Amino acid sequence: MANDNTTNRKSILVTPELCIGCRACQVACKSWNQLPAIKTKNNGTYQNPPDLAAAAFNIIRYSEVPSQENPVRWLFVSQRCMHCDDAGCMNICPTPGAIYRTAEGAVATDASKCIGCKLCVQACPFNVPRYGEDGKMSKCHLCFDRIANGMSPACTKTCPTGALQFGDRAELIAAAKKDGYGTIYGEQDLGGLGSVYAFKDEPKLYGMKENPQIPASVVFWHTYLKPLSAIGLGGVVAAAAIHYLAIGPHKDDKEV
Amino acid sequence: MAEMIRKSSVAEVINHWILAGSCMLLMLSGFAFLFHLEPVGSVFGGFESMKNVHNWLGVVFCISLLISMVHYLKDAFEYDADDVQWFKVAGGYLSHKVKVPPMGKYNPGQKLYYLAIVGAGIAIALSGFGIWLMKDNSTVMLLSHLVHNIAFLIFVLAVPVHIYLGTLANPGTFQIMVNGMMPLADARKKHPKWIKAIGRM
Repeated sequence: MANDNTTNRKSILVTPELCIGCRACQVACKSWNQLPAIKTKNNGTYQNPPDLAAAAFNIIRYSEVPSQENPVRWLFVSQRCMHCDDAGCMNICPTPGAIYRTAEGAVATDASKCIGCKLCVQACPFNVPRYGEDGKMSKCHLCFDRIANGMSPACTKTCPTGALQFGDRAELIAAAKKDGYGTIYGEQDLGGLGSVYAFKDEPKLYGMKENPQIPASVVFWHTYLKPLSAIGLGGVVAAAAIHYLAIGPHKDDKEV
Repeated sequence: MAEMIRKSSVAEVINHWILAGSCMLLMLSGFAFLFHLEPVGSVFGGFESMKNVHNWLGVVFCISLLISMVHYLKDAFEYDADDVQWFKVAGGYLSHKVKVPPMGKYNPGQKLYYLAIVGAGIAIALSGFGIWLMKDNSTVMLLSHLVHNIAFLIFVLAVPVHIYLGTLANPGTFQIMVNGMMPLADARKKHPKWIKAIGRM
């Protein structure tokens, strides 16, 4: 869409079928980003922490999908910011530089500029942004500091099975299709996601959100209301100026 | 010196400027949030402090709007046949040749402007408090964000017209918002029904 990153856009390709659920990606992310551990409780699943958090930019979702043929089917899905091309969080953020696009196409964050309004939470189709005790938004930033220096993000660097790959977005998608993955989740959604998923089954089975969209009111605001406020201001000021010149002010002396 | 008559009380004038001043600063910072105007943000000491200024100025605006209702709300709801005729000749603003019907203290354009400010003001205040204080309620946040921006658009369209009509378009009018006074002779011409009602015709 608005971003000129279609040619050199980088992304993470997640292939849940190759994931062994080792959570090295979670550890590597914490290590690189110096995030503290989160105290959690065992609630009957290996999934830990239970959800994305201010100190957990990525997690592996563990879901059991038993069926007649495979009574112990267990799916591991690595989850993080989707780095949308049309990013709702960036559209709605009132602060310049708090959420920004890097040259590689990542949606990066600068906590020092965040004013803590939490509008990004509402505009995100994937419920990704989290607020910590400091009142600042945090989320996966695609290791913008690493990739700007030619390295790959910490999670993909550490992944031992190739379930997480980082590289040129178009090349990753083409390779996944060649390997027989029929469904590429996020190839087109929201202008194309920066975290794309390769599936052989329906994405829904893996708990992926179907038809993700920025809330309609936010799209309406961004597309019409916002430009209209600037155009409207210019319009009424111009109308007043034209009125003053063409018709002129009230002249009481000439009345009666 | 021409004989003067008080059109606005001191309280009205002071409250008008509290309302107008807070409104202008709120709109300026609002535009800065909307269009990422960094120079404006810098004037307010950065976007974080601009947010705090914006929020608390909203409280000032709110209180001032409530006080203004004591001053103007009753008048703003009263219209008569002359007011209808006033609209038919567009208040005399589109031609100096038409005959403008006799007016009371306020013309219907001013009254409707005030009602628009009250309506949009209540909407922008409530939605502002929603965005400020109910951040974790998704429905409230999304609805407030939409309402806040629609009401903002009404302000953006209405306020410049009000400023123009109160200054350049009607010479002498601005004086009333300085000390509340206007020449009695002018008042007899512009507001004959009001002057009659107070027995000064």
